[in-house]
Amino acid sequence: MTLWVLIGIVIKILMIVGITQGTVAYLILVERKIAAYAQDRIGPNRCGAQFGLPAALLQPLADGAKMLLKEDVVPKYVTKPLYILAPWIAIVTAMIGFAVVPFGPVGPNQLIDFQIAPNVDMGLLYVLAVGSLAVYGVILAGWASNNKYAFIGGLRSSAQLISYELPLGMSILGMLLLAGSLDMNQVIAWQSQNAWGVLVQPLGFILFFTSAFAETNRLPFDLPESEQELVGGFHTEYSAMKFGMFFLGEYLHIITVSFITVILFWGGWHLPFLGLTPESSGLIDTLLKVGIITGKVFLAILFIMWIRWTLPRFRYDQLMDLAWKSMIPLALINLVATAGIVQLVRTYWN
Amino acid sequence: MTTGSLILATIGILFGATGTYLLLPHRLGAAKTRTIYILGAVFASLGLVGFLALLSPPALSPLGDFIAGSFFYVFAGGAIGCGVMTVTSRNPVYSALWFAAVVVSVAGLFLLADAQFLAAGSVIVYAGAIIVTFLFVIMLAQMEGRAVYDRAARSPGRAVFTSFLLLWSLTYCLASVRGKPDGPPPAGELAGPEARLLRGREIAGFYQLAETNEGRKALEHSLRPTSSLYVEADPSKPKPNVAGLGEALYADHLLTVELAGSILFAALVAAVLIANPKRAGVPPTPAAAVEV
Repeated sequence: MTLWVLIGIVIKILMIVGITQGTVAYLILVERKIAAYAQDRIGPNRCGAQFGLPAALLQPLADGAKMLLKEDVVPKYVTKPLYILAPWIAIVTAMIGFAVVPFGPVGPNQLIDFQIAPNVDMGLLYVLAVGSLAVYGVILAGWASNNKYAFIGGLRSSAQLISYELPLGMSILGMLLLAGSLDMNQVIAWQSQNAWGVLVQPLGFILFFTSAFAETNRLPFDLPESEQELVGGFHTEYSAMKFGMFFLGEYLHIITVSFITVILFWGGWHLPFLGLTPESSGLIDTLLKVGIITGKVFLAILFIMWIRWTLPRFRYDQLMDLAWKSMIPLALINLVATAGIVQLVRTYWN
Repeated sequence: MTTGSLILATIGILFGATGTYLLLPHRLGAAKTRTIYILGAVFASLGLVGFLALLSPPALSPLGDFIAGSFFYVFAGGAIGCGVMTVTSRNPVYSALWFAAVVVSVAGLFLLADAQFLAAGSVIVYAGAIIVTFLFVIMLAQMEGRAVYDRAARSPGRAVFTSFLLLWSLTYCLASVRGKPDGPPPAGELAGPEARLLRGREIAGFYQLAETNEGRKALEHSLRPTSSLYVEADPSKPKPNVAGLGEALYADHLLTVELAGSILFAALVAAVLIANPKRAGVPPTPAAAVEV
């Protein structure tokens, strides 16, 4: 490992941090616009009009300035070290998952490896591991706040996140079995040579996407912060940038989950009839691959935001029943069936 | 590791054991005198100094080695420091959190040792699920960590004896590994403690079968020794981490995996039995209890 490799990695990290944070700012605007559209409102439309920009394009700047400049209230009755640590855990665990996510083509003959840590053998496991740590942010925020609403929110959320981690992990096993690797680039390569994951693993896709909603605390699974019952849930006592960090963490999580969905089930950078292969490495092909993967991710994010205004929130017992009584058995059936089919095909086809 | 350093390690462990015994809280949670604590601290630090003599600093060049070496010390120091905080924290919530930090540091050590699956697995299972469940229970059951039984040591003597005996045997095992060249052992030869593990081929009676036996051929195909992975692997490709571990578990150590699975299954059955409310003498539902 030379110094230049290290510098390249640092530049990649800085770029990805910058790009994702900027994206999050605009995702919040997109979410508000979609919410307005779903509720037959206009939504934010003022910020930026002074400079001739349409559709409140400067709203994210105003939101960011508000987050940073508001008074940062730390109540006297909180457990201070953990109260301050919790938002950091939320944002760091959401951020370091990007280390193994391929943003474009990766390989020995490519122009650039669009991945901070290229060709990690256990890429998907790493994402799951980091994602499983995100629960600490929520549970610590709930406990350290020393507030009953926050505490109940934290407890609900820890139970929910642990329960939905199981179907989340098990639903991707079928796809991994087919692709024969935990490396995301290999999974994309397999899909580009055979078929998209959503076609060969429809049940796995539905289970994964549903658990992903629960893991990101999005409606209809947003019980940790259900406003009607728990004020604000685990972040009731947080204000200013500490609250903003939870927000940022949640949106970063949505981006990660969308990337995993696209990579595992929607073919990554592959589109039929374009003739892109894992080896194609020209400038146009590279740009095309990056464009396709980010475009698909954007579609996935839009879908997640659209669902928010489509389904009502679950009741707590319904939430638990869904995970333990339907999704985990279905994921197991999917895994066993896939394993059986793979074994049969390998025995009798080749 | 030479005999001299083994003796040094033994002396360090003896000092450490004495110091820890003196530092451990009283059996009934009462306070000890200051002299005893100072003595304990002196003995424990003597033990630590003895172990420091065995450490080797990270190589300063090349850069990759230096970074890996520094990361090793960060993770190892983090694991030990957080471990000490785990057992000394008064508040059980903090104990659980420090334990999570230990698991994450150890996962970092696994990563440095190229055991990626173990790293991710331990984080997912321990930090992500088990410790969160601990926290869940602690937060519900005990808001203030001030109970007497949290500050008392049940039997400090026996605890110190077993834990330091374990530490000594680990050091002894390390002594047989340290100083040997890195890399895979030659084909067919098993290094150090690995030779003592129960392996699939021996259980199946592979070596008792004749060379021409059909069964032996089938077993040869299904129960490959782990070391063959290194031999078969293409050196230009990265080492097969996950696939290698899977093959080792399900070819070499199949019996161990099955035993562990049976134990877990027994625990599962017990959990269902305990959780099932329809036992004799216990009302089936809370609503029925109200009617009684």
